[in-house]
Amino acid sequence: MPRIVREAEVAWEGTTARGAGVVSAASSGAFELRVTLASRIGDPEGKTSPEELIAAAHASCFVSSLGSELARADTPPERLRVRCTITMDQIETGDHRIVGSHLVATGSAPGADAEGFARAAEAADAGCPISALIRASAAVTVEATLKEEGER
Amino acid sequence: MAAERTANVTWSGSLLEGSGTIDSVGSGAFGPLPVTWAARTEQPNGLTSPEELIAAAHASCFSMALSHALAQAGSPPDRLETSATVTFVPGTGITSSALTVRGAVPGLDEDAFRAAAEDAKVNCPVSKALASVPEITLDASLLG
Repeated sequence: MPRIVREAEVAWEGTTARGAGVVSAASSGAFELRVTLASRIGDPEGKTSPEELIAAAHASCFVSSLGSELARADTPPERLRVRCTITMDQIETGDHRIVGSHLVATGSAPGADAEGFARAAEAADAGCPISALIRASAAVTVEATLKEEGER
Repeated sequence: MAAERTANVTWSGSLLEGSGTIDSVGSGAFGPLPVTWAARTEQPNGLTSPEELIAAAHASCFSMALSHALAQAGSPPDRLETSATVTFVPGTGITSSALTVRGAVPGLDEDAFRAAAEDAKVNCPVSKALASVPEITLDASLLG
């Protein structure tokens, strides 16, 4: 299989407490975003954080895996929505750790029943490389709900 | 205190022909950003991917941890330039994240900078979350 390489860059100025960085998508050029420690731990104030970037990575990886699993079961999705919440918490040592990733998936897939949708979500979690990555050190939980036709 | 961060994506169609969008994130800092399997595994053509987002998370987390460690040790950096390169092998997963950092740090020698960078590589929360990645490498040196 081919090796796929993606790169991001950060320019950081000053100390963590007072400084700020700019993180940019070096491979695609798709984004260039400010980050600070205060906005990472407290109110985001419109700024992204490493944890939010992981939430975006996990949600976008899982949603494509779910689409693929539904298509494999001959019930390709019309539309899927996935929300991912990453939680970082302070552990006993005082260090911060990413402790969980919670995925909430809803969608419509003509021909699929609730059970089939749930099965596809389980298979998507098992197959998504970002789920595998996070599960090695934190809890990954999945809630999947099939929308009936006509529901939004 | 726990910090929660969220992202919302939508997808239509199959893996190979379908496409998705990172519609929004909790902070409002970015989105919508389109994603496709082709852009993820072939040429990005301006589209981000889960692996690029992981690279961005790792580089930004590492930079914060290193600037913090340097400040704690009494030599805050003027500037750090970091990159993270994530390698993904479909069917296997993420096989490596390679960190490179160049620092402008008044009053610090090369060995002390490398030691602080090594510590940040081991201990930053995203490195801990990437613990199952077979290879996390670091190339650290002071800006000349």
